[in-house]
Amino acid sequence: MRIAKGLRLAVVLGLLATGAACGGGSDSGSGGGKVELTLLSHYSDGPSKDGLDKMISEWNKENPKIQVKAQVVKFDDLLTTLTVRQTGGRGADIVSAYGLWGGQLMKANVVAKVPDDIATKIKAEYSPAALGAVTTGDTLLGYPTELNTYVLFYNKKILAAAGINKPPTTWAELADAAKKTVKRDAKGNIQVEGLSLIQDGDNKSVHPFLSLLDSAGGKFLAPDGTAQFDNEQGKAALKFEGDLAAAKATNTSISPTKQFRSGGVAMAIQAGWWIGSLKTQMKDKYSDVGVTAIPGPTAGSKGSLAYGFFMGVNQRSKHADEAWKFLTWMNEHKTEDGKVTETGKWLADQGLIPPRTADQAEYKKALPDPNLAPIYEAATYAMPEPNQPGAYEAKTALHNAIMTVLADGKNPDDALAQAAKAVKPQ
Amino acid sequence: MTTAVSRVGAVAAPARRVGKLHREGPAAYLFLSPALLFFCVFLILPFIFAIVLAFSDWGGFDLSTLKWAGFSNFGDVLSFDGTFVKPILVNTLLFAFGSVFLATFGSVLVAYCIDRLSFQGFWRVLYFLPVVATVVAIGNVWKMMYQPAGLINAVLNKLGVNSVGFLSDSSYALPSVTVVHAWASIGGAVLILTAGLKAIPEMYYEAAEVDGANSWHMFWSITLPLLRPALLFVLITQFIGGLQSFALIIVMTGDGGPVNATNVAAFEMYQRAFKFGAWGTASAMAMVLFVIILAITLLQLWIARRRGEETS
Repeated sequence: MRIAKGLRLAVVLGLLATGAACGGGSDSGSGGGKVELTLLSHYSDGPSKDGLDKMISEWNKENPKIQVKAQVVKFDDLLTTLTVRQTGGRGADIVSAYGLWGGQLMKANVVAKVPDDIATKIKAEYSPAALGAVTTGDTLLGYPTELNTYVLFYNKKILAAAGINKPPTTWAELADAAKKTVKRDAKGNIQVEGLSLIQDGDNKSVHPFLSLLDSAGGKFLAPDGTAQFDNEQGKAALKFEGDLAAAKATNTSISPTKQFRSGGVAMAIQAGWWIGSLKTQMKDKYSDVGVTAIPGPTAGSKGSLAYGFFMGVNQRSKHADEAWKFLTWMNEHKTEDGKVTETGKWLADQGLIPPRTADQAEYKKALPDPNLAPIYEAATYAMPEPNQPGAYEAKTALHNAIMTVLADGKNPDDALAQAAKAVKPQ
Repeated sequence: MTTAVSRVGAVAAPARRVGKLHREGPAAYLFLSPALLFFCVFLILPFIFAIVLAFSDWGGFDLSTLKWAGFSNFGDVLSFDGTFVKPILVNTLLFAFGSVFLATFGSVLVAYCIDRLSFQGFWRVLYFLPVVATVVAIGNVWKMMYQPAGLINAVLNKLGVNSVGFLSDSSYALPSVTVVHAWASIGGAVLILTAGLKAIPEMYYEAAEVDGANSWHMFWSITLPLLRPALLFVLITQFIGGLQSFALIIVMTGDGGPVNATNVAAFEMYQRAFKFGAWGTASAMAMVLFVIILAITLLQLWIARRRGEETS
């Protein structure tokens, strides 16, 4: 009894010090019947910021009593900012978060339950890949926003110079193309990397691996969070990557987002958002870029990974009803021509796949760039990225395992077994 | 009689002092209260909270989700199947010992040389500059120099040596960041050691010179022994700094990679708490690191005291 009392006292004192108990509300305000909602996101620059700002100012003009204020940070700082502000009792009313974080945010009671009527509509109107990326167990975390799928980008000129006139359609062809296109100087410095198996950002080796795993028919995590990748398909996918690393056709020190545009990478497994960056960076040379589905081990097989973002309401928001009202408007109101939603247009303008099925269908009718077709197509078969509590840790364990194979030449079977052991369902 | 009076007086004087102390006590505590409050709020209470969390399962934010976990967090953290003991804790110790060794050796050398040069202020400022510069700037500059097409590899290539993946090869990554950390911390140590050198009386060197001692003998038999208190301070502060440091590693490697090769305990704690929402495990790691730092600091002090040295 005395211990329990002491423990409670310690917790209370500790919270006083750390500020975790500070009010517990969001930093929204209300005065004179006017409500101010805050929206925290990573849409911090370029078209993503402009589009969101445009929608917010339109809403603010039409709804003088519910004003929305955008708070933006870079993606790399989003989770930390969200964590710190929430801990300090100053979490935003509306949070935009990466689907992978959904499980842990739900476990920590950060995101509020989506009201039943809104959840029913979302489930009926959004694509399975988009829903899968922002659903933990049976719980929908919010409105799906960004949806990305993985595809194979290739430089047509580099492939043609190596005598390859069509993109690879099997792992054997992919490996062959990677080995034929790699170039090194006399000192061993890489001039052209055959196939890039990493991406920028967190756990950079996992998404390309999961895309290959999907193409072989494998899975990452079971719904209960146990590892599913330590099997025949997983070993085959990692062995495929390991063989390319041993042949020096792939190298983890090369950043495809920096080197591809200047012809330093022949092929790269990347997310669809990259297309927008390549267009801007490569200008006329963008015509050298080709996009195709990520091939599988046998002819006709293919795979991809879909990951998404969502916008949900903070469980501590004092104005949850107003927040849902804004989110419903933002995701449902249509553009002037009435063909797609404003949010769908905002995302498509950035080269992202609109998560709403009707928007996707409308854009698919007349894609402005043929390279977008495989990206949209992948949304129909891609493996949604699991996001239950513990998924982020599991992903990090898998990343470490993949890197031991790619960078240190470790046996793929041992690496996967070690990663599977580190995955702890929560 | 006189003796008896003086004895009575001797007994009465401490009693008066005690009474005075009792009267002044509240005022003393009142003056100390801002510092004590600061100490409690920012050190003692968070420390107590961290101890509670180390025995709990908590995803952050909402206290109602806090669950008692017993010693399971410590079991996970100290398990040899996990990554914390090896490679993370091993990396932490290698990083700390390596940077302390390099920084101390380098700073003794630099301080000794500066003490014999003209324009000493200029040299001290020059070596102190990395301490003033932000970790982000230092990390990024060295990161560029370590790149396959960077300055260091260009020099190696000119010498006929193939490029080295300083930050991408797991064998080289930890030594590479250790060197940068040591380089960045030399300035502070140089400042303390030059002050220590200035405190050594010149007459010892003059006497040694008369006895025919050369520079090496003078350094070994006079400078180094008399520099021990300053050296001890440098060693302890550098070591604690090395064990807690992770900002440079984030800047240079991003995620403690490749393959956890540069992951250290403080960075892992940060990741567990702020990325994975595993506050219990992060706090258990903090407790383990606290015990290690305490043990090593006590060991350093014990060794120094056996040799009759103190830092203050």
